[in-house]
Amino acid sequence: MGLITEKTALPKIQPVKFLLNWGRRYSLWVMNFGLACCAIELIATSTSKHDFIRLGVIPFAHGPRQADLLVVAGTLTDKMAPALKRVYDQIPDPKYVISFGSCSNCGGPYWDSYSVTKGVDQIVPVDVYVPGCPPRPEALLHGIVKLQEKIKDEDIQEKWASGHSAIS
Amino acid sequence: MATALSPEDVESRLRARFGNDILAFEVQHGHPVATVSTERYRDVCRFLRDEPEFDCVYCDFTAGVDFGPERGFEVVTHLYSLTHRHNVRIKVQLTHEDPTCPTVSDLFPTSDWHERETREMFGIRFEGHPKPVKLLLSEPFEGQPLRKDFPLMSREAKPWPGLVEGEPEEDEE
Repeated sequence: MGLITEKTALPKIQPVKFLLNWGRRYSLWVMNFGLACCAIELIATSTSKHDFIRLGVIPFAHGPRQADLLVVAGTLTDKMAPALKRVYDQIPDPKYVISFGSCSNCGGPYWDSYSVTKGVDQIVPVDVYVPGCPPRPEALLHGIVKLQEKIKDEDIQEKWASGHSAIS
Repeated sequence: MATALSPEDVESRLRARFGNDILAFEVQHGHPVATVSTERYRDVCRFLRDEPEFDCVYCDFTAGVDFGPERGFEVVTHLYSLTHRHNVRIKVQLTHEDPTCPTVSDLFPTSDWHERETREMFGIRFEGHPKPVKLLLSEPFEGQPLRKDFPLMSREAKPWPGLVEGEPEEDEE
């Protein structure tokens, strides 16, 4: 449903690829999927002291259909998991996911809980994992820079040719 | 001006009214705690609510405790009086074989959701509850997670790395 599909005529010319990825990586509309205390750190990263707008991350998309980047911040429970999947599916391609904090990475302190999903990568594909409990805003900034490095080297046609799709 | 009843006053009044149906009485953290028989549980709650001296119109919470197969379950209901500002806790003891308790959700609307939670977490049935369905757990969830015998699958694969409650602490070098 995205604007760039495998049928879009994109000649494999380096300047075009550079320009496209340059534009994409510095205008990441972020969708805040805040579930617990990590969401506070995510919000802190968006405010004036740390200010991830200077990295081109725009807080916050009004809905998943306007977003490019999904930050899952907090404890995902099995009951909440279908909602995360639905939000992810509503984001137009190309889309990226940052798993923020130990809970969303692997369950964190709730590793033996009966109700917590041990890792959001069981539900949606994750591009960058930010460890910490909760991670400091600087850690998210680092994670965003890592994601931008990933986007910079991306070939969008290759991405589609390799069968990129969400885990269903 | 309304005055709070001391735990001793609560005990004497409850014993005078319900006699042997008050199975035990103790004072915990300054609050009177009465263990009552399952049959008179509703009567005790209604008495505490309607009697002007008690006037416990607010049900703070209803919860469950699992003490294992021998001692069974306990249902704890905490009542509070907004006028007198005193607390009364009512306990009911249930067996593991037949964990059935009368509902008080018609007396105290707040206990409705608490009883639903206690039901899904412990498998305690509340007879007469208007909507006995899950409250917090997802619909396909099976089992009663707060029962002591509920297996935590992650711990089956990897035991708890820290100290376990009840086990002796190892001396560190």
